[in-house]
Amino acid sequence: MDPECSRLLPALCAVLADPRQPVADDTCLEKLLDWFKKVTEAESSLLLLQENPCLVELLSHVLRPQDVSPRVLSFSLRLAGTFAAQEDCFQYLQQGDLLLGLFGEAGTLGWAAWNVPTVRSGWIQGLSSLAQHPSALHFLADSGAVDTVFSLQGDPSLFVASAASQLLVHILALSMHGEAVEHHSPQGSAWPTCAQKIVGHVEESLRSTAAPQVTQALNVLTTTFGRCHSPWTEVLWEQLSPLVACLLERDPIPAGHSLVDLLLSVARSPVFSSADCGLWETVAQTLSRLSPTQAGPLALGTLKLQHCPQALRTQAFGILLQPLACVLKATTQAPTSPGLLDGTLGGSMTVDALLSSKSACAGLLCQTLAQLEELHPLPHRPSPWPQASLLEAVVTILQLCDGSAAPGSSVGGRLCGTLAGCVRVQRAALDFLGTLSQGTSPQELVPQVFAVLLEYLESPDSSPTVLKKAFQATLGWLLSSPKTPGCSDFGPHIPLFLGELFPVLQKRLCSPCWEVRDSALEFFTNLSRHWGGQADFRQALFSSEAPTLTQQLLRDPESYVRASAVTAMAQLSSQGLHATLASPEHPEAEQGLLREFLNILSADSEGFPRRAVVQVFTQWLRDGHAEVARDTEQFVATVLQVVSQDLDWEVRVQGLELAQVFLTQKLGQPGHCPYTVALPEAPLPRLRPEVLRTLCQPWLLEFAFRALFDCDRPVAQKACNLLLFLRDKTAPYAGTQETGDSPHLDSMEAALQRWQAGEQGQPLGDPEPEAMLAVLRSLDLEGLQGRLAESSDHVEKSPQSLLQDMLATVDILEENEADCY
Amino acid sequence: MPEIRVTPLGAGQDVGRSCILVSIAGKNVMLDCGMHMGFNDDRRFPDFSYITQNGRLTDFLDCVIISHFHLDHCGALPYFSEMVGYDGPIYMTHPTQAICPILLEDYRKIAVDKKGEANFFTSQMIKDCMKKVVAVHLHQTVQVDDELEIKAYYAGHVLGAAMFQIKVGSESVVYTGDYNMTPDRHLGAAWIDKCRPNLLITESTYATTIRDSKRCRERDFLKKVHETVERGGKVLIPVFALGRAQELCILLETFWERMNLKVPIYFSTGLTEKANHYYKLFITWTNQKIRKTFVQRNMFEFKHIKAFDRAFADNPGPMVVFATPGMLHAGQSLQIFRKWAGNEKNMVIMPGYCVQGTVGHKILSGQRKLEMEGRQVLEVKMQVEYMSFSAHADAKGIMQLVGQAEPERVLLVHGEAKKMEFLRQKIEQEFRVSCYMPANGETVTLPTSPSIPVGISLGLLKREMAQGLLPEAKKPRLLHGTLVMKDSSFRLVSSEQALKELGLAEHQLRFTCRVHLQDTRKEQETALRVYSHLKSTLKDHCVQHLPDGSVTVESILIQAAAHSEDPGTKVLLVSWTYQDEELGSFLTALLKKGLPQAPS
Repeated sequence: MDPECSRLLPALCAVLADPRQPVADDTCLEKLLDWFKKVTEAESSLLLLQENPCLVELLSHVLRPQDVSPRVLSFSLRLAGTFAAQEDCFQYLQQGDLLLGLFGEAGTLGWAAWNVPTVRSGWIQGLSSLAQHPSALHFLADSGAVDTVFSLQGDPSLFVASAASQLLVHILALSMHGEAVEHHSPQGSAWPTCAQKIVGHVEESLRSTAAPQVTQALNVLTTTFGRCHSPWTEVLWEQLSPLVACLLERDPIPAGHSLVDLLLSVARSPVFSSADCGLWETVAQTLSRLSPTQAGPLALGTLKLQHCPQALRTQAFGILLQPLACVLKATTQAPTSPGLLDGTLGGSMTVDALLSSKSACAGLLCQTLAQLEELHPLPHRPSPWPQASLLEAVVTILQLCDGSAAPGSSVGGRLCGTLAGCVRVQRAALDFLGTLSQGTSPQELVPQVFAVLLEYLESPDSSPTVLKKAFQATLGWLLSSPKTPGCSDFGPHIPLFLGELFPVLQKRLCSPCWEVRDSALEFFTNLSRHWGGQADFRQALFSSEAPTLTQQLLRDPESYVRASAVTAMAQLSSQGLHATLASPEHPEAEQGLLREFLNILSADSEGFPRRAVVQVFTQWLRDGHAEVARDTEQFVATVLQVVSQDLDWEVRVQGLELAQVFLTQKLGQPGHCPYTVALPEAPLPRLRPEVLRTLCQPWLLEFAFRALFDCDRPVAQKACNLLLFLRDKTAPYAGTQETGDSPHLDSMEAALQRWQAGEQGQPLGDPEPEAMLAVLRSLDLEGLQGRLAESSDHVEKSPQSLLQDMLATVDILEENEADCY
Repeated sequence: MPEIRVTPLGAGQDVGRSCILVSIAGKNVMLDCGMHMGFNDDRRFPDFSYITQNGRLTDFLDCVIISHFHLDHCGALPYFSEMVGYDGPIYMTHPTQAICPILLEDYRKIAVDKKGEANFFTSQMIKDCMKKVVAVHLHQTVQVDDELEIKAYYAGHVLGAAMFQIKVGSESVVYTGDYNMTPDRHLGAAWIDKCRPNLLITESTYATTIRDSKRCRERDFLKKVHETVERGGKVLIPVFALGRAQELCILLETFWERMNLKVPIYFSTGLTEKANHYYKLFITWTNQKIRKTFVQRNMFEFKHIKAFDRAFADNPGPMVVFATPGMLHAGQSLQIFRKWAGNEKNMVIMPGYCVQGTVGHKILSGQRKLEMEGRQVLEVKMQVEYMSFSAHADAKGIMQLVGQAEPERVLLVHGEAKKMEFLRQKIEQEFRVSCYMPANGETVTLPTSPSIPVGISLGLLKREMAQGLLPEAKKPRLLHGTLVMKDSSFRLVSSEQALKELGLAEHQLRFTCRVHLQDTRKEQETALRVYSHLKSTLKDHCVQHLPDGSVTVESILIQAAAHSEDPGTKVLLVSWTYQDEELGSFLTALLKKGLPQAPS
């Protein structure tokens, strides 16, 4: 421990022990504990306690219940646990009966403070920390702590109850650690007493008629099988599975959700990958007994398993498909495509669930769609995958939601009424429809998909969130459409669709909702990025107003939209699509765009558009965009001059990125990777003087040097890296010319010092490149880099600072306490 | 049993990271999704794992409601929606929707600036999150779905702050968020109608405080600023970009105008323009005075307050600078503080709370020698002032709101346990309602008795009227019928109609009871004695002696039989239908008392 901290500790312990001194900030004790954990990880706890007796005094003090606040008591319990995690320290604390006083039945448990959840939570966390060694196990068994943990499983505080379950698993695992278990030996008396006790409790809870107790037992088992993968878990399952199976015979099945979690946890455990243990039978039974909503997660989990009997997979997939099959059946007069309804029998429960109420219907459909969406990209998803039927179903659902479906039965009619205008289902269905674009779909269904997407994009009833998803799904389908060689770039549907899409896009670009305008711009940008070169797309775009509208959105009142418009216009410009504006009325559209972007960079009141502009400029520089290539140096100089004045540090960081790209283009890639083996020295090419002059332009170096002392750390860090790169690259040039005591050098160093002191004035002037390089070499950039790597508030966040703050707050607390924003 | 369940994941007996889960009639709503500024790790966000263990978030939660734009109420929102995976609707008022992303962005920049944090939400995430927001107007009833509706009420506190009523059927909860019951310089006082919710969840920051007039604090603030600039000093006011900054700007602007002062005032973030734009846009949310004077002069168009340039900090002479961030933990405000700290003529005014681990916290706790990077020590000679301008209801205000809303029960959040305990007792005493104060993670379960509307069939009503009993609106009446629950609707119909509708056959159910009588006579004689006894006792009922020897009273049948083992005992078999349950029970009790002695 740092000596300064050691010096401050006694005073702090005295403050903590004083009930008249409330602790200042509710985060302080947490941070203090974090620090002790770190300290005890690095050094001996026993030594720490011996060298700082105030800590033991604090722990002894809290044994006097009337004198301690619940927060300090909770902290002390956790602290004691942290120390006692090391066995020698545990013994040390045991000698003074401290641990028994804190964690035993005669201790904290009997105090009034026990009613405070923080104290119970501290008690559990303290025990969890100390339960690391055999001595701790004996202590837990002898002190009666395990029984208390049992009762805390039903604690009114979620945090305490959950921690109690975790602790039971931890103790079980600890007591079984190193136990050799015969594969088929019954648990009986062979297991350690503590483990037997816990398993006995779990058995009893599983037999209980009270659902909360069953849930607790199932949760403990779920965590056990999730965390412990030793052979004893197999024996445990053999012993407990009959009790679990018995739960299925009850009506209603208690704790369905927890049961599903347990079965999946067991099925995922590597211990059970080869053995059967009746697990699959239980899973199959559970699938058939649970309601469709409860069975869904189990079905999905089962299908995600690598090793699972085919029959079970079929059953599970059937459960996931059933709601969609019901929808199809209810809405189609003609027999539907094969694949979805085959083998999915007994859907009455599903129909009931779909028709019972609006929220149940929406809930089941949303859940199913999300589960199928999750399943779709998996390599071992069910095969054959009924792509066509799924598409048909999801299109039908979307039609039911917007009222365009024609129901073929009374059930269909009711579904129509239930789902009309249901935004929740629309969102889920559009998400899934988008996912289905990643697959081979029958060509005859694609027009239906585009038709329904267009309906949603056009509909005045579509909410902004629905529209965003409709745009995303449309993009998915457009990008995945098969391209056929021939006169047209795309398949037969696309040109037609594009013809209808652009008017809708135009309408959405004029939406009064910024969310819609922004989503439309994002869609347009992505589409242009992928299809900018395709003739069909260009034709549709040229005959639309979309580029003009996008340009107008550069002056949108909403900054998010302005930023998206910048990106969109840049995309159009990069692909020559912006040139359409260079009509007779706009002869210099490109130049106009550059000017407009520069104007945004210097004048926009918000960061997003300005950041978007610098990003675009950097990309243009990388790509050698025509506007940039005309006079790269002038371009970079202009941009950096504007950027250097920017109040947004992210704009300045991106300005440095632009400078980095510029330098890289002049000098080549940054130096060798530090992990590669250095090759034998090869003579580095000498920098030509004109290149050197370019690199050492005052506008570039002044920008970088000023940034080096920027009050925003990422800017300084980036500048430091940039200057290091420049210094390394120009190193071969060093020493070829003596700079001597040039007056330039003095004035530069003076300017740098002033910048470092935070002063802004004093430009660099026009020094010689050699002077610049000399200054560059004189700076301890590596040292600075190391310092900048730390968080800017690392001093304020240090343990010493924490202790000082806690001590300093003592007397003035009343004045400022309990204030907030 | 229908119930309302409330579990705070944050703001349960603490201040910071507000996040309260409410379950009402099967609907799950998250109230606020705040962050804790005092932590740098996962602990800054509420522990959402307790919700995710219930399955997919979007399936479990019906909606999220954000009360106002302060980060301890909305700071975890992008994390929750874009990183944890909530994809459902988020409700907030229009001003909150406009201002929330500015503060989130501001905070993101500070977090990344300080640490270069990678595991933090990005600008894009904030934008995507804000696209999920559905903005609401005050007093507009918004249907989240067919069953769940919400309604916003004015809360004062900050621009756009709202209290929300959440209603499912006849059950309702009101969540106040943070509110202020006294109008201040730019906002009005909170107001709610007498909505009589089942539960009022109220903040309790100043549960035990009666706050002095804000005017005094304002006067004090102006005096201190004025004195400092008069003696040639510089004043630094660290603020967060939006909110209190605007309030203080109005204050200074008006004062400068009145006193005709020329000392420059600067605002460092470049956000004044946008902030003012929003205040102008949402003028209806400000107080009456601002609205009235708006026609002549817009309070948010500041003549004296100019944008700050970094070079200005070195200018000689007095000045006032508003700089971000508000706790002096990074960036511009910290840089200016370092420059000015050494001069005793200068002053820093902290207008809000500072968490531990910031320079703001240090100077407020009286530390004057601050260790800086590289073992440098900064001696703070400038004056340090703390002035709380946070606008929360004090104890009196909270009581006032409880009185206004008339809830059945009250639940306290967003306060300290000790103070809550005091207020809890006060509320229980004064309003005679139960008051709860759960800690984080603790669930409070409140049983409710929802009123369920039931339709009555015309046939049943006509039958009742035929019996001459006209319904009266205010007088409860007993009505017999069969309750049919179908398609989420309830109807009371006659049993015949129910049988017909449901296609069921009618079954007769009779209750039977044996009563033993000491009687040596023959069965027929016993029956006759029973008949005579009942005939004389039950004058209003139709008592008959049937030819087969049995006795009937209305539908009740009584037969006498010999006891198989004891010839001195007779067994009376009494049976009745469920409609005559009352009479049947009465008769049985009567017969059990025995028959009157027969005249010999």
